[in-house]
Amino acid sequence: MTATLKNILTGKNSRQGLWILPLIIVVIGFVSLSVSTEDFATSQNLSNLLKQAMPLIIVAIGQMIVILLGGMDLSVGSMISLTTALLAIDAPAVVTIPLVVVAAVMVGFINGFSVVRLNVHPIIATLSMQFIVLGVAKLIRPVAGGSVPEFLVQWVNGTIFGVSTVFLWTPIVILIGWKLIHGSRYGLHLFAIGGGAAEGQEDAAHNFGISDRRNIIVAYICSALFAALAGAFLAGRIASGDPNVGTIFALDSVTAVAIGGTQLSGGIGGLHGTLIGALLMALLSNGMNLANLSAFLQGSIKGGILLLVVALQSRKKMGL
Amino acid sequence: MKLTLNPMFSSLLRVPPAYFVFAALFVTLWVTKPQLMNVNVMGVFVRQVAPLGILVLGQLLVMRVRSIDLSGAGVLLIVNYMMSSGIMGDIHVLFYIPLALLLGLIVGLVNGYLIGRRRVSAVIATLAVTTILAGIVQFFASGKPPGAMPDFYNDIYNTKIWIFPSPVAFWIVLTVLMSVFLSRFVFGRYVASIGENPTAAHFSGVPVERTVIIAHVMASVIASIAALVQSSSIAVGSIRVGLEMPIDAVAATILGGVVFGRGEGGVWGPFFGVLCFALLFVVMTSFGVPEPGKLIARGLIILLAAILYGMRAAKS
Repeated sequence: MTATLKNILTGKNSRQGLWILPLIIVVIGFVSLSVSTEDFATSQNLSNLLKQAMPLIIVAIGQMIVILLGGMDLSVGSMISLTTALLAIDAPAVVTIPLVVVAAVMVGFINGFSVVRLNVHPIIATLSMQFIVLGVAKLIRPVAGGSVPEFLVQWVNGTIFGVSTVFLWTPIVILIGWKLIHGSRYGLHLFAIGGGAAEGQEDAAHNFGISDRRNIIVAYICSALFAALAGAFLAGRIASGDPNVGTIFALDSVTAVAIGGTQLSGGIGGLHGTLIGALLMALLSNGMNLANLSAFLQGSIKGGILLLVVALQSRKKMGL
Repeated sequence: MKLTLNPMFSSLLRVPPAYFVFAALFVTLWVTKPQLMNVNVMGVFVRQVAPLGILVLGQLLVMRVRSIDLSGAGVLLIVNYMMSSGIMGDIHVLFYIPLALLLGLIVGLVNGYLIGRRRVSAVIATLAVTTILAGIVQFFASGKPPGAMPDFYNDIYNTKIWIFPSPVAFWIVLTVLMSVFLSRFVFGRYVASIGENPTAAHFSGVPVERTVIIAHVMASVIASIAALVQSSSIAVGSIRVGLEMPIDAVAATILGGVVFGRGEGGVWGPFFGVLCFALLFVVMTSFGVPEPGKLIARGLIILLAAILYGMRAAKS
């Protein structure tokens, strides 16, 4: 009995990984914050919390797709910056939005192509893309400024039937992610490719007739597209372009995915874990501000929780 | 993709890209800015990358056992803060050295335990350690920059040994030591065999877990030495958190021919990889390339170096 309980708690033999423990932490945090501070459980604060968490949730879904394959995409942060920079150039939305989509597909394709065809390690390929894309973003917009299309600001900050629009966008994004990862053949292939990679048998999925190379390239393109979506959301929130706004998301998205129980060696993880991870990160910063805890300790606590969660997971592979 | 390469070209592919990049940058500089080509000017530029060069020595060690260490940023930050804030009270300046080494040892043991024993992903573990250390420093400093560094270290930093600035001389000595250590000691053989194939190494009786832990401890101690050198290069402490140093260290190591997740490469390749970064900085600055251009060039160089290696791996 205790062994079963331990297996459930540490996510052993689970396809979804360790997501129950983070969920417990989120619930405890949520309950204790609503009891201890009266400002927390207001609809105003909750919509703020969701608005803060939203970009991270979106990037983390994209990041998870790549991590499930045993890869990693460090260029998402720069992709977000590039998106805000492109949206804030002095052009109508019919020009800028297709431009963002084309840029994201290109960045994702180059990442995927270098990984699959040119045999570059994912961390290295996306790290160098991070520098290149950030450079391009800074060429377009050296400092923060400009203005994004008006309707984006409306969509992100407005209200619909009296509730904040963010309550509408969150379920839509989650549904898209759910369909892609848990409701499609593509998602199944992701788990197959990643599971093989985690066991050190990269060609396992290939031998079963899954076109792994194409799927991996598509995964990197998805990740870049999700990053662009997060960038559009951020651009709507800050109503301008900023080449530095995305920088923290590269590592924060990996952190959110890892907290949610998805294993970096691939093949194990799930959407709900990633959502919990991203929510936990947002809850931490929001809750600690409300509880008047030193903002400077936030980093330490985030790091501590991350270490606790990953140290409890069982994993065969050593190293990366 | 099937690649048919001519034998001459494929043997060229075996040389770490750092040497080619270094030669190309050197010739460019020689032809276009001959006035920069004297020992004093170059010494100043190379001196700036000495901390990075020392950090790379640890990075290449962990990368050769198929791991990675991003906790250098945290070690750098906390050693920097310890030396400049006066938090340790009125202690002798030399006492900072054992303190820094001790910090490095503790961080290394934590990293080694998590990665070697608990099998945590190295990226996540060392990243989390960095955020924890950065949070501690920010908490103590409450967001305010700390005070001045002790003059003692800055004075040493500005001396010269023959034609080399002393940090550069120190870096070269450490590189020679690391090179001897990896080529003449049993530990070096262990590192090479784990990098080649951890499973085979395990079944041949190589203590895989212990070697990974020791590599991480050494990397963190080396990071604390790099932190001492970096702290002595600046007059006033800083609490700015930046992951640039460890990521640059990874990039220089790649450029120097240590292959990520495969465990090949030596010590002198990464050494020239770091020199490339110094020369790249000089070339960019002397041609007046703005910051975006620098970022793009840096990314392109790393990507091309990695692609060269990937092509070689596809062939074998």
